[in-house]
Amino acid sequence: MNNIIMERGLLLERGPVDGGVEKEEWMELLSGHHVGRAEMNKLIMNYLVTEGFKESAEKFRLESGIQPSIDLNELDDRIKIREEIQNGNIESAITMVNNLHPELLDNDRYLYFHLQQQHLIELIRDGRVEAALDYAQTHLAERGEENPSILSELERTLALLAFEEPEKSPFGDLLLLCQRQKVASELNAAILETDATPKLANLLKLLLWSQEELDKKKIRYPRMTDIATGTIEAPK
Amino acid sequence: MLFASMEIDDQGGWFDTLHSDEPEKWQDALLWLKNSVIGNNKQKQNAINHGIIPRLLQWLVDGDAPQHLRLEAAIIMGSMAKGTAENINTLVEEGCVSVLLKGLKSPDQAFVESCLRCLRTIFLHNSNCGSLIYQEPSIVEDLVEIMPRSVCTQECVANILASSCKEPEHQSKLCECGLIPKLVDLLAGKVYKVQMPVLKCLAGIVRENGENCVVALTAMHNNVPLPDMLVQLMLRDRTSEMQIVAAKVLAYLCGGGALAPQDPRIISKTLPCLIRMCSRDRTLEENVEGAETLAYLLEQDGELQRVAAVSDHIIKTLAEYLKYTDVQQINRCGKRIDINWGIEMKQAAFKAFAALGANEESIRKQVIETEHLMEYVVVGLNSGNMKVAAAAIRCLHSLSRSVQLLRTTIQDHGVWKPLMKIIQEGPEELLPVASSTLCNLLLEFSPSKECILDCGAISVLVNLAARPEPNLRLNGIWGLMNLTFQVEQKVKTKVVESIGTERLFRLLSDPDANIVMKTLGLLRNLLSNKLHIDHIMGMYGNQIMQAVVFILEGEHPIQVKEQTLCILANVADGDKAKDLIMGNEDMLKKLMNYMQYQPDVSLQIAAVACISNLIWSGEDGACARQAKLSEMGVQTLLQKLLSTTDTVLFEKVRTAVQQFS
Repeated sequence: MNNIIMERGLLLERGPVDGGVEKEEWMELLSGHHVGRAEMNKLIMNYLVTEGFKESAEKFRLESGIQPSIDLNELDDRIKIREEIQNGNIESAITMVNNLHPELLDNDRYLYFHLQQQHLIELIRDGRVEAALDYAQTHLAERGEENPSILSELERTLALLAFEEPEKSPFGDLLLLCQRQKVASELNAAILETDATPKLANLLKLLLWSQEELDKKKIRYPRMTDIATGTIEAPK
Repeated sequence: MLFASMEIDDQGGWFDTLHSDEPEKWQDALLWLKNSVIGNNKQKQNAINHGIIPRLLQWLVDGDAPQHLRLEAAIIMGSMAKGTAENINTLVEEGCVSVLLKGLKSPDQAFVESCLRCLRTIFLHNSNCGSLIYQEPSIVEDLVEIMPRSVCTQECVANILASSCKEPEHQSKLCECGLIPKLVDLLAGKVYKVQMPVLKCLAGIVRENGENCVVALTAMHNNVPLPDMLVQLMLRDRTSEMQIVAAKVLAYLCGGGALAPQDPRIISKTLPCLIRMCSRDRTLEENVEGAETLAYLLEQDGELQRVAAVSDHIIKTLAEYLKYTDVQQINRCGKRIDINWGIEMKQAAFKAFAALGANEESIRKQVIETEHLMEYVVVGLNSGNMKVAAAAIRCLHSLSRSVQLLRTTIQDHGVWKPLMKIIQEGPEELLPVASSTLCNLLLEFSPSKECILDCGAISVLVNLAARPEPNLRLNGIWGLMNLTFQVEQKVKTKVVESIGTERLFRLLSDPDANIVMKTLGLLRNLLSNKLHIDHIMGMYGNQIMQAVVFILEGEHPIQVKEQTLCILANVADGDKAKDLIMGNEDMLKKLMNYMQYQPDVSLQIAAVACISNLIWSGEDGACARQAKLSEMGVQTLLQKLLSTTDTVLFEKVRTAVQQFS
């Protein structure tokens, strides 16, 4: 590869690939690019709205003049629902969802299954074995009939009941609190109806992917080693 | 909080409350019910069994009932519609649709939206509802007026209308209400879940409706015409489902005459898009829809067919469709969709092949020579499934325009039996195409005609020739004409016996000139080959001569008279049959007149040919015939005709003159 074509058509004549790019030159190239303030602000607002930081979003709106893409009061509902799930109050969350978005769980039975499964997990966590079995029989059996592919997930959940210390069983990861987080995110995404990843996250993923691609081709270049601080290190 | 999992045993209690006379408890009961049924088909059925539908309808119908109760009722109704097909049927049967439609007049926006959601779900999943919105004139107008209010109303109304524009009257009514410009505005709004039903609605409203196509063609948003908007929606960064519906709308605009096939938006954008949809990396639904829409578009124009045939190995791709067997799908809603993909793919492929090969022989050749394709066609003909058989017939019909290329298929694959079966037992609408196919195939079949005759071809064709519909009569007689070309005497006899001289002669006075021509063609084929001529004239000579006179004396186009004279010329070729003409002074005089007919030389040629046969030297009785005709002035007439400038006539006259010795 004799030419490295940078963004916006800057063509850089280079020697053979083994030479690579040194850090100084790299930083010079980078500084030649300008990302507008408005673009930055939009990214930040998008992050705040998607993740549900309502107060920050409001403040940021006042300070930057950027309009959020949705009515910030809608954030309240999503925030409340997420909180309920993170506190293990699944049925309360379901009721809230049914009030705000009555078609959602009818349309997405797989999501409904995950919510019901989480409720089952909470019952197991509380040691309410009979209630758990009852719930599984009454509500989850139907999910299995509709969609046989969930049966294995259901089995794993019910298997927890077979252990005296379920958190130490092979399926113990279901009892971790991050499992609640997973369900909360899934529900959040469904409510938002679009890709629930903030655009900022997508950009960072693109950066990481690009570095991977360059690595695959064994190209020497200064890498960003710390996303959080934006540290770029010289190539070895 | 009232949770669905609570009080399972008390369920009966909740239902009792709903039916009871305790209004203060209804709100809680409805809340419990809502959470019980959302996402749970069993609970929906349970609720129905507890008579919930009529109860909900009571609240919905009662304009004075508390608004919050009516709202919950509408929401619950909406959830019921997301159950099984039986649930939806129950809703429709209990009259929910008209109640919900009345609910649209409410000033409460949330209530209206809940009613619309329920209606939308019902209309999407129950195809019997399509005409319900037309029962009162104001309903459609209300829907169109409500539509722009919010994303919810846009999406729901567009879906409802998209499910309700199958009939031409419906299409017209919707157009009259000014729907098209409103749809175009929504299309420009870039909200995906609104754009999709809008596109489907547009497709439904312009299909096969020339007037609506014109309105759609000129509709604009911000000075961008609709067709240009549609091209944008066919770009590859859009979802496949969007590309394909946008392509459908454009294809229908072309079919409706609003867009020319050569318009770059059609030939350079729509056509490639549809071909893309047929490729292996798309879903089966997209393949089927793509191929069917492609077939529709290609039928419009030969140039489109030519371009398509060389695009992206489309023939090979479509041939792969034929290999699919039954595949089932389960989608995310948990509804099992029972579609036989084997049938759908095959019939879509056959339709596409039929359209591809409609005009060009080279394309037909490619199709016919595709490995195993003709075998699949024959299997398709034999299929018990009428959809596949119908599509296979259309395919075969198209390909039969190059019948000589189909020789091996006819010989090896037994195409006659299933073809006859479809003609004799299939639905009426297939008769024209099936009988046309039969006619074409009869042109090219080997001397061993037993198989086709064994299949009862003659009686099938004779029955067709007796039909009141001119196109079927034509196919019947045309088929007989093709059948009798260069065939053995016993077959000819059988044909005449089957059809009967009375029917034959009735056909000679048919109001349709094409039918008369083909009947004459049949006679001509019957009267070819000396031996056959004498045999047939021996049995039917009088009637045939009467028919000839009848036509020559009547008002008929030149071609008809020419054919008749050719028949006479054939008769003149028969050893004994000649006498029938010679003994008829009047006929001979007619012949002489036609020898001098101006300006159309074809009649002269035919008449001279007849004379030529009569006087042919070397045959028994030639001298006597020559003498008689000379006496009448034929020889002199011939000499005069030698001065003609027409080369064909000249040759014929010279040959005739040479006979006089």
